[in-house]
Amino acid sequence: MSKKNVVQKILARAAGKEEVATGEYVIVHSTRPVTLGGGGMGRGPSQMLQTGAKKVFDPKMIKAVMGHIGGGDPIFIGDQARKFSEWAEKMGIPRENIFDLGRQGVEHVVAGEECWALPGELYLSVANGHTSSLGALGGFAVTLSYESGAYLVKGYTWIQVPEVARFTLSGKTKRGVFVRDVYEYALGQIGPTGTPGQVIKWDGPYIDHLEMDGRFTICANALFSSAWTAIVEADQITLDYVRAHSSDPFTPLYSDPDAEYAQQRVFDVSVIEPQIVPPPKRTQVYPVSVYEGKKITRGHIGTCANGRMEDMRVAAEILKGRKVHPEVILNITPGSTFIFKQCIKEGILENFVEAGVFLPPPACGQCFAGANTPLGSGDICLSSGTCNYPGRMGSYNSEIYLCSPATVAASAVAGYVTDPRHFL
Amino acid sequence: MINILRGSAWCFEGVMDVDWEICPIEHMNALHKDHTKTYEQILAELGRYCMTTVDPEFPQKARPGDIIVGGEGFGYGHDHDHACMSLRGTGIAAVLCEATNSNFKRNSIHHGLPVVEVKGIMSCTNTGDELEVDLAKGVVRNLTNGKNFTFVPYPDFILEILEAGGLYQQLTSQVKLGVYS
Repeated sequence: MSKKNVVQKILARAAGKEEVATGEYVIVHSTRPVTLGGGGMGRGPSQMLQTGAKKVFDPKMIKAVMGHIGGGDPIFIGDQARKFSEWAEKMGIPRENIFDLGRQGVEHVVAGEECWALPGELYLSVANGHTSSLGALGGFAVTLSYESGAYLVKGYTWIQVPEVARFTLSGKTKRGVFVRDVYEYALGQIGPTGTPGQVIKWDGPYIDHLEMDGRFTICANALFSSAWTAIVEADQITLDYVRAHSSDPFTPLYSDPDAEYAQQRVFDVSVIEPQIVPPPKRTQVYPVSVYEGKKITRGHIGTCANGRMEDMRVAAEILKGRKVHPEVILNITPGSTFIFKQCIKEGILENFVEAGVFLPPPACGQCFAGANTPLGSGDICLSSGTCNYPGRMGSYNSEIYLCSPATVAASAVAGYVTDPRHFL
Repeated sequence: MINILRGSAWCFEGVMDVDWEICPIEHMNALHKDHTKTYEQILAELGRYCMTTVDPEFPQKARPGDIIVGGEGFGYGHDHDHACMSLRGTGIAAVLCEATNSNFKRNSIHHGLPVVEVKGIMSCTNTGDELEVDLAKGVVRNLTNGKNFTFVPYPDFILEILEAGGLYQQLTSQVKLGVYS
């Protein structure tokens, strides 16, 4: 059997079939844990309770990360956290499966650190469409969304085998141009419906040399071109990463050389400049130079898109020995407790504190208005978060411009939108 | 089985975001903390805002059983299922579109709303056309202009979810029958 792409192979395995065809509806089982997220009872447990079901399909296969809100909403956390703890205990979910406050982080960042997704395997999460980030580990990673509660009872779901869009990234980026710039540039080229219902398979020399943090980033925002998820086939970088984080067995899967794709495109990353996405549209992307000099009041680095060590490191490089502009509040939220600890070890936290950075505990936090520092009326914010629609981070009368962590850090020092290469 | 649907078409081309064009998310945010409302009440409440940023009178104009015809961007954005509930709240019986966001399709089916990809349908349908959709056979017939289309038919397990009125309606019955404990 040849001419199969990696998604067809993974879903055939998950469906227990020799092969599956694009467009076919199949029942699938996952061998990997399912991740609950949010905070409190949220999506999943509360839905399950409404059905009258009293048992989960397998308590050992359920992980939970207190990630969305983190510590941002005391009333919500106080009430919901207790309810969730009681429900989890009743279900028999092992305590070590619950990444509660003190071990918390963005769901997808923690899932990546723990390798709950693995090469060649179906991975399901409750949280949201940014589950696509986990496709960086070479598996098929999607959200259950509304179905989450039912999955907790049944332990299986259905999938209509999606098409695959192959995006090859050739060349080398210029100094000061990062993976977030590459993603946004590509998104600007393909538009909001560029990959409808498809899986984006990222490959090519740029990907071959990209470390895992960068792969999680490039897969995180698949939904903005209407893709269901994204994937980077496992290579030595993936295998080394997984071996360092997990002892679970796995067998990677790969597209056949003559595999069929719904579309194939090549992007030359060497032409890309630092990018910026102004409000309100998500897919109208410009070089940062178009907005150079625009005054800002807020900066934000973090989230499932850019809250990992590589992002913390580049921000620290720019902020070291410098100060955040007096008229700017720069919020840097490490993506997980592990990353927070690593920032301490590398002296990064000290760089941030000395520079005058505001440091909330790891969580999605500032990315949406559930944070402890929402934007106020008139705020202009540069963010490495996921969305820029009006009201996303607070007031409807605030503006969000999306860009790389380097651009955020540089602009937070300058007090206006600026090319990070001035500071690198 | 409710496999054959018949209704009047409403065409909405372009990017229809679940959090804006289909139903501004602020309306779900308001309902989120209210635990007193039933599922049907939430459908009705969200239905009041369905497509209103595109056509302010849509909820008043739409009739139960009507069918939405969309382009490649119907259901764009996050996996926020309040949009599916809003569509059901206006009585929309199905969404036929050129292509869709898989999360929107899955969430809709699980809320009892069929969403089907039908290539070529947008350019051959006008608002007001009478459409007949056979979910089990994978056929759409435009009874007004005579054009027919095919699509990948729904398997039985999806038809059963729709028959029950949604995934949780189905699961609740299954729990009562002892299929799951």
